[in-house]
Amino acid sequence: MNGGKHILSKEIKDKEVASRRGFLKNIAASAVAAGTVAPMAAFAEDDPAIINEPEWGTKLGEPVDKNLYGMPSPYEHNVIRRVHELLSSGDMYASVAMCPVQDLEGIITPNGLFFNRCHGGVAIVDPNKYRLMIHGLVEKPLVLTLEQLKKYPRESRIHFIECPANGSTEWRAPQFNTLQFLKGMMSQAEWTGTKLSHILKDVGIKPEAKWVLAEGSDNSHMGRTIPLEKILDDAMVVWAQNGEALRPEQGYPVRLLVPGWEGNLNVKWLSRLEIGDKPWHAKEETSKYTMLTPSGKAIRFFWPMEVNSVITRPCPDKDWKGYKKGDVIEIEGLAWSGHGKVKGVDISFDGGKTWVEASFKGLVLPKAWTRFSYMYKWDGKPLLLSSRAYDEVGNVQPTIDQEVKKMGVEAIYHRNAIVTWEVKANGEVNNVQIRS
Amino acid sequence: MFKLDLKKVAIAFGLSIFAVSSLSAKEEVIKLKPLPLDKRAVDAAVKYKVENGEYAGVYKVNPQMDKANPKYGRKATPNEIKAWDIDVRYDWQGLPEGQGTAEEGSDLYDSQCAMCHGDMGTGGLGYPMLVGGSKESLKNQLLKPGDEPPIRTIGSYWPYASTLFWYVKTGMPFPHPMSLTTDQVYSLVAYLLQQNEIQIEGKDIEDDMVLDKKTLMKVVMPNVDGFYPDVNGPDGPQVMKKFLSNPANYGTPTERCMKNCPTGKVVHIKEPLDDGIRPPISQVRDLPKVKETKGGGDPKIVKLYEDKCKACHGNKAIAPVPGDKEAWASRIKQGKEVLYEHALKGFQGMPPKGGHMDLDDETIKKIVDYMVEQSK
Repeated sequence: MNGGKHILSKEIKDKEVASRRGFLKNIAASAVAAGTVAPMAAFAEDDPAIINEPEWGTKLGEPVDKNLYGMPSPYEHNVIRRVHELLSSGDMYASVAMCPVQDLEGIITPNGLFFNRCHGGVAIVDPNKYRLMIHGLVEKPLVLTLEQLKKYPRESRIHFIECPANGSTEWRAPQFNTLQFLKGMMSQAEWTGTKLSHILKDVGIKPEAKWVLAEGSDNSHMGRTIPLEKILDDAMVVWAQNGEALRPEQGYPVRLLVPGWEGNLNVKWLSRLEIGDKPWHAKEETSKYTMLTPSGKAIRFFWPMEVNSVITRPCPDKDWKGYKKGDVIEIEGLAWSGHGKVKGVDISFDGGKTWVEASFKGLVLPKAWTRFSYMYKWDGKPLLLSSRAYDEVGNVQPTIDQEVKKMGVEAIYHRNAIVTWEVKANGEVNNVQIRS
Repeated sequence: MFKLDLKKVAIAFGLSIFAVSSLSAKEEVIKLKPLPLDKRAVDAAVKYKVENGEYAGVYKVNPQMDKANPKYGRKATPNEIKAWDIDVRYDWQGLPEGQGTAEEGSDLYDSQCAMCHGDMGTGGLGYPMLVGGSKESLKNQLLKPGDEPPIRTIGSYWPYASTLFWYVKTGMPFPHPMSLTTDQVYSLVAYLLQQNEIQIEGKDIEDDMVLDKKTLMKVVMPNVDGFYPDVNGPDGPQVMKKFLSNPANYGTPTERCMKNCPTGKVVHIKEPLDDGIRPPISQVRDLPKVKETKGGGDPKIVKLYEDKCKACHGNKAIAPVPGDKEAWASRIKQGKEVLYEHALKGFQGMPPKGGHMDLDDETIKKIVDYMVEQSK
């Protein structure tokens, strides 16, 4: 009738119709044949997703007893942790599965997507055989079962956990064009457990005590030394994340939570706390997790994760191909600091020459991911987009040049330099570095 | 129209002025005030308090909690502590009595370690190199292809031999840790120290020299002074607090440059690593494809493969991985009897039964069958 091409319902697909009347007749005929309600007449400008009744609206859904532990929609099957054999010793035991940071919303990581770094596989611990031992320089060495541990008063805190090797592939040059592998060794949860200060009141710490060895019961028997002052300040033993028991990948049934500190200090499958007067110098504080500097000497016991940020929309995975010149686009990202609360985030559109202040949105919590946001009217021209966070202690996220000047490129750990995305005129987004 | 044109001209003009003047334009920076030391925690972070019933000004807290003195659990027995307290501190606290020789260590190494760490600790199989490098090499920076990297091994990097003992005792062999006797650990430590040319009181470690608690405690590693800050003294935590409170120590600035900031050239990705990502990155929202799976095999055998064999046979740098048809083709050609024999008696890097002498011959054969079946 108007010459427009009709978008046809499933029942009459491939049938050409000459007129609106004929079209309606056809639909009526096929609808009768199929025994369904006739769809409306449709034209090119009409969206078939609206015109045609979707199949899920015309039949029963899945029964409520199908997934008694709920699963994401099957359409979300690409939102998963991912691995790369170059990021480990070549095996999948002393290895890491990266969190899809590009797909996260808000500040909480779903438990199934929380990054998984372990040093000898994910231990499956029998909670009935779980014991926590506290001994060393104490009056009364203590053993707790899981049930006894859970009798202590509970608190919940939202903190990120980040592996200090997050971003370590980028020391020399950009190498990954996806946020998942650039920053995926971190996640954030609401953790529930009890403050260690509650338990330690009972054991009678001797006056010469200064350090605590925390050890896991898994294959790697991960041990790390933590100053007693931190343990008594805000460290917790936690048994829950985001409202349910810890996942095995996070140390079920109990892990240590050392807010703001290197991920591996948050010892998983925690079995032992030994109080001592000296640091231990365990394998993960000598051969690994030490930062070699150009002087040939290495920094050890670098505990807090420094101030950091990254723009998550856009990023190479979430590009601007769906936007055009003149669109007002939200630029969004995550900022965090192990030193305290993030105090502010600046954004640059020109590779770090000029900076403007972004806004926070949502909760601003200590030692936690914080969302920042900036509304930007895109003129369709290429950009060099960066974010730069600063925190409550007065530290500012460094440029790559500033960081490398001091640390060189062999430190492996604690790389927190500014991330820059190249936004092209066609909306493509690439990971680049700005180097003098 | 006229107005708009004028604006365009103004913008163009402004930009050109900006480009020229930026050469001499001064940086505009905002200096941040560092948090004073007395308000900082041991890691130089903010030390938050509970004030007005709130922690850090964001979390409500129940004030009764800190006043309560809950007591749960029971006293640990001396034997329980002995069973679990097997760490070895840098000052040798916790080092057990025992002894071994480099000669015995060499045999153990060949049968239990070489398949991952290479002959004589030379690495190359994906797992860490244990021997070689030098303290001097630690000053190297691999900035561009062809540069010499720093080589971090036990001999060149590790500050304390105690860590070696503790690591081997509780973490090795990787697929089945805690399986070595204390004397075996002494032997492996003797061998690894020997291969790294570590001397004890100026003397080389000979093959038959007995390394025991007394002699091991005399070992001083070449890179013992290669780490800072010095945290071993009684004020160690305070040393760390001071170190971390000075962000200049780790290349972190304390000012925000807002205008005319130093910038640089754009460096693009030259050698993307994205190809190795498993599964490939995807933003597609569709239904998952149904995976074609090989006949799963006896779940008990699959579990045994996963628990006992996969540490090596899940890493193509070390051993053929089930499903890797290319790697298996030539092996399958040799016939099952040959594969059985290699699996049972050992072959090249493969120790007899993969080191799992607890498994009977029939079970090993079934595991071989499973791996072959997956790889046809």
